[in-house]
Amino acid sequence: MENVVELKNVTKKFKDFSVENINLQVKQGFVTGFIGANGAGKSTTIKMMMNLLKPDAGKVNVFGLDYRTHEKEIKERIGFVYDDNVFYEALNLKDIKRIIAPAYKRWDNSLFYQYVERFELPLNKALKKFSKGMQMKASLAIALSHHPELLIMDEPTSGLDPIFRRELMNLLQEIMMDGKLTVFFSTHITTDLDRIADYIVFIQKGKLVFNQSIDEVAENYALVKGGIDLLDTDTEKAFVHVHRAATGFEALTDNRKAAESIFGDSVIIEPASLEDIMYYLKGGIYHV
Amino acid sequence: MQIIISNSSKEPIYEQITKQIKSSILTGKLQEGMSLPSIRQLAKDLQISVITTKRAYEELEKAGFIYSIVGKGSFVAEQNLEVIKEKKLKVIEEQLSAVITNSREIGLSLNDLQELLKFLYEE
Amino acid sequence: MFNLIKRDLIIHKWQILLIVPFIILFIITASDTFFVFFIASIFIPFNALAVDEKKETNILLNSLPYTRRQIIASRYLGAILYMFLSIGVASIALFVMNRPFTMTDILIGSGTFLLFSAITFPLFYIFKSGYISSIVLISGLILLAIGPPIVSLFAEHFTVITDFINQFTASELYIGVSVFIIIIYTASWLITNTIYQRKAF
Repeated sequence: MENVVELKNVTKKFKDFSVENINLQVKQGFVTGFIGANGAGKSTTIKMMMNLLKPDAGKVNVFGLDYRTHEKEIKERIGFVYDDNVFYEALNLKDIKRIIAPAYKRWDNSLFYQYVERFELPLNKALKKFSKGMQMKASLAIALSHHPELLIMDEPTSGLDPIFRRELMNLLQEIMMDGKLTVFFSTHITTDLDRIADYIVFIQKGKLVFNQSIDEVAENYALVKGGIDLLDTDTEKAFVHVHRAATGFEALTDNRKAAESIFGDSVIIEPASLEDIMYYLKGGIYHV
Repeated sequence: MQIIISNSSKEPIYEQITKQIKSSILTGKLQEGMSLPSIRQLAKDLQISVITTKRAYEELEKAGFIYSIVGKGSFVAEQNLEVIKEKKLKVIEEQLSAVITNSREIGLSLNDLQELLKFLYEE
Repeated sequence: MFNLIKRDLIIHKWQILLIVPFIILFIITASDTFFVFFIASIFIPFNALAVDEKKETNILLNSLPYTRRQIIASRYLGAILYMFLSIGVASIALFVMNRPFTMTDILIGSGTFLLFSAITFPLFYIFKSGYISSIVLISGLILLAIGPPIVSLFAEHFTVITDFINQFTASELYIGVSVFIIIIYTASWLITNTIYQRKAF
């Protein structure tokens, strides 16, 4: 099984918003980062992966199984971390564990306490008194203690300080060492992904822009900078977005090689960060 | 094994890795049969994505510098002709650099040096 | 499944002990003994529902390896289980306080509770979270306050109904009412199940 999660032509419509015709695959043993601006459809997509929302059309497969027939089997193998605290906030971690643990066949109590110790989490303090970072650590400890094969996280790093964000990335690499765990997480803090993500899924206004490996992104996308006089209707075809200023232009290309052959040495071509790509594609993808 | 990655370099990260491992093999720091860290271990140590280290190893394998055994890991390959050639070339480069340095010290021009080289080469 | 039912107790923590003074209060104030059994039964399931109607809790439960069918089943089976438990506690309290009570009180109390649950449970899943729990509780109490006078009003003025009821023996009546309640409770379960299947979180 190469694809742990597979979405085929998935569509979900709401009154004022919709995600349309999403096709995406999450590859086994890798970190897939899910990026997009706030309101682009990240949470909706994740909710459909968790069967919290049912798509109007299309198919969602997890571990090659269908939720309609294998809901429990699928969720048995998923660990989840959400942006908001979904645990009973009046309870302490010990009581929450008493509620969650029996739900999983493979719950590992000693592993849970290892994480509690490692994250320095108090067991007898109500969750509502936890800081944002501590709540996230608690969610993570719970999510990892039943040996999940797929870890789904919705904006796990929002509201966390850079130190913990980096620690989290290290932890993920550590627990992925045996190659069995697959990680899918959404974020709008792209520096986390520049670091360790293997695949990037980019969603914009409910539509999938791309689903590429980090190498492909680096090979295809680039920033091109040069003098305004170089631009005309022909040369501009190489770009997905152009920003013009009196001092020159800065443009994003999704075809680095074409841009190189058109402009040669007359421009500066630099790698585009995920943030650059998100910024320049904010108006949606279209060729100028 | 020492590998240093520059994030601001124009060179892709996987290329930086292959270059440095190649050079370690060519300079004899990594010897035939020695095991390399696993793809995931290397990714973790360098704090980069697994897919990047995977690609680096694939390139090295293609070039015959290393080989992989499923379930055991990657190892430095027996040096084939290509590798030896590249190794020799590297040595030649180093020696020529020394020649150039010496020539400059005594003010020998490139033309004179080329003449000298030609003379010696054809002898 | 049993874990889901047990959860209702865990989320109460020490507040579960409040059930004792709560029952004693109603033993002292209530005019009818059946009312004590009714109120006692309501305590655990409806407190749990008040916590559970939150969106976050539904997201949590549905992310765990439970099916939606199981989540609803635990609610309906749990209500019956906690009803028995509460009746037990209430009986002990009545006994200790030296208040006489009959099997009929227990039956009427539990019957009312099941009917009340059957009507109100679906409401928790139809409406968006917010004030449902308090609305349901208040309307329940009002219903109980005005219910008996209405029944006696009926008994006085609509002799057709009372004549109809009077032609059965007491045991026939009990069986009939029990069957009626079981049907309503099961129907309510099925309705809630259908509603919950379609819910988005």
